[in-house]
Amino acid sequence: MTNSPKTAGRINRLLAMLPWVIGNPFSSVDDVCTRFGYTRVELIRDLNTVFVCGLPGYGPGDLMDATIDDDEIVVEMAEYFSRPLRLTAPEALGILASGKAVQSAGSGGDALDRAIVKLERVLLPEGTEAVVIDIPEPRFVDALRTAAIEGRVMQIDHTSIATGEGKVRDIEPWAVFTTLGNWYVSAFCRSAAAERVFRIDRIRTAKRTGSRFTPDPAPHEAAVRYTPADDDVHVTIRLIGEARWVAEYYPVDVIDDGPEAMTIRMSVGDAAVAARLLIRLGRNAEIVDGPEAAVATADLRSRILERYS
Amino acid sequence: MQRVIERILNLLAYLLTVEHPVTADEIRNTVAGYDRDNDSAFHRTFERDKDLLRRLGIPIEREATDVFEVEFGYVVHDDRYALEDPDLTDEERTALSLAVQAVGFGGRPLGQDALMKLGGVVGSFDGTQLGADLGERADTVAVAFAAISERRMLTFEYRGRTRRIRPYGLVHRRGHWYLVGSGSSSDEVRVYRLDRASALESGDRAGAFSPPVGLNPTDEVLHHPWDAGDGTEIAMVVFDEEVAWIAERELGPRATITHRRDGSIEAAIDVAAPAAFLGWLVGFEERAQLTAPPELRRRFISYVEVG
Repeated sequence: MTNSPKTAGRINRLLAMLPWVIGNPFSSVDDVCTRFGYTRVELIRDLNTVFVCGLPGYGPGDLMDATIDDDEIVVEMAEYFSRPLRLTAPEALGILASGKAVQSAGSGGDALDRAIVKLERVLLPEGTEAVVIDIPEPRFVDALRTAAIEGRVMQIDHTSIATGEGKVRDIEPWAVFTTLGNWYVSAFCRSAAAERVFRIDRIRTAKRTGSRFTPDPAPHEAAVRYTPADDDVHVTIRLIGEARWVAEYYPVDVIDDGPEAMTIRMSVGDAAVAARLLIRLGRNAEIVDGPEAAVATADLRSRILERYS
Repeated sequence: MQRVIERILNLLAYLLTVEHPVTADEIRNTVAGYDRDNDSAFHRTFERDKDLLRRLGIPIEREATDVFEVEFGYVVHDDRYALEDPDLTDEERTALSLAVQAVGFGGRPLGQDALMKLGGVVGSFDGTQLGADLGERADTVAVAFAAISERRMLTFEYRGRTRRIRPYGLVHRRGHWYLVGSGSSSDEVRVYRLDRASALESGDRAGAFSPPVGLNPTDEVLHHPWDAGDGTEIAMVVFDEEVAWIAERELGPRATITHRRDGSIEAAIDVAAPAAFLGWLVGFEERAQLTAPPELRRRFISYVEVG
């Protein structure tokens, strides 16, 4: 009984196609099919629908006229559908922000720059640059992206966020992507003989090894996610006051959420991650349970203080 | 489905041409495809059609049919229905299409329907994949975007209080969306993190204010968490050789860096919010040393000692 998303999709496409064919009479069937993602059969079906619709009275002088003659499309008596429908807020945001993200990362071109200027003129108030996307590319993004496309094995010197240790590895880069403000490369790490994701701003040097690999034609998932492992360290922490941000920022289980404090349980690949977090939080956090994290925190505390003694 | 599509096209054609608000009854008796005999069947169908058109962005408004405001009807104002044509070329459409494919919001592209409304896309798509994600909360960001675009007041919950602001701009930086605007009564420009805002609602009146001339929202949003505050200290920090390059990249051009012969660096960093700065410094563990000013150094030591 409800109008299905399929109906909405068909009407959306019809209301996009009509202004185009009205504004560009004698467009070819092929061009319109490519532009709006129609098959020939679907386009003809939609034009037949247009042909039986129109204004009250619904006589020959009231209905829209849609014909295909010699593979060219003509729609008449439909001036009211001649202007493109305005964009919804998510559509306008999506297209403008996507364009600006690519531009900010330095991967755009002149055509994209021009398109963004034109869109801003119709979508935003004059005088200010109202939407700014700031995702500058760190060094090596381009080199790693090229290596992923061309199948070049790269040697990287990468410092682990968790342990702070630098390590030289040979990797087969799969995909370069940015999320939550950081750039990453996903790769098959030959040194570890396993799939890994590396933060690119923690790559000190990257160079070609001269070896090649065959890139996988299927696109790789560009995402960073926490994968549980057997040797993960678990820690239960009581967060007080401002420290509650931790629960929004890290993947944690909230065990108790009271007015005074919040208790969370988090799993980390290395106790050092929990130790740094606990020292950062200072008086606003305490360990409820987690012997490895407690040891690592005490150790980190004495290492830092040593430096100031 | 065929009959539904015909009925909805007829309804929209009528609303776009009738030029004054028409009541549900007028629609029922005029537009082809509606049930004239069964009351509840008509209302159900009409509500669904109206919802569908509104979801597609068609501004069906409910207005009084005359000055006495006794009867209400529906109308679509042409200036709010149609898009001002940005007059894109096919080359520009292709560039936008590549961008929409390369960028996601919470893993999904946003803006493909927009491309269709702007004239569709021709040409091939074998560009390099960028793979950027602008976060999960596209819905919230879109409400703020619409308010900025139509210059409407924006109300939302933020840190336990209700705010009402004039929204000027959006900045995506370091993985977060920031909203730049000023309070309803003050001209002071403020910055809000959108992932901490909830219950966003925009005001009824479009064109409710003019944004300040020459405001650049990006200047208002911090580069480092310790940039926001009242402090005016300059911290001197030595970073050991193995982390010096990381510190240099994270500090960027706003810190003054001296390279030393052993590969370490000494950085002079402007600190407005000491607490945030000291938290960042912990991340370098024992490979960094805060050397001055003495007061900040003492504060760091007691910060690490707590526990």
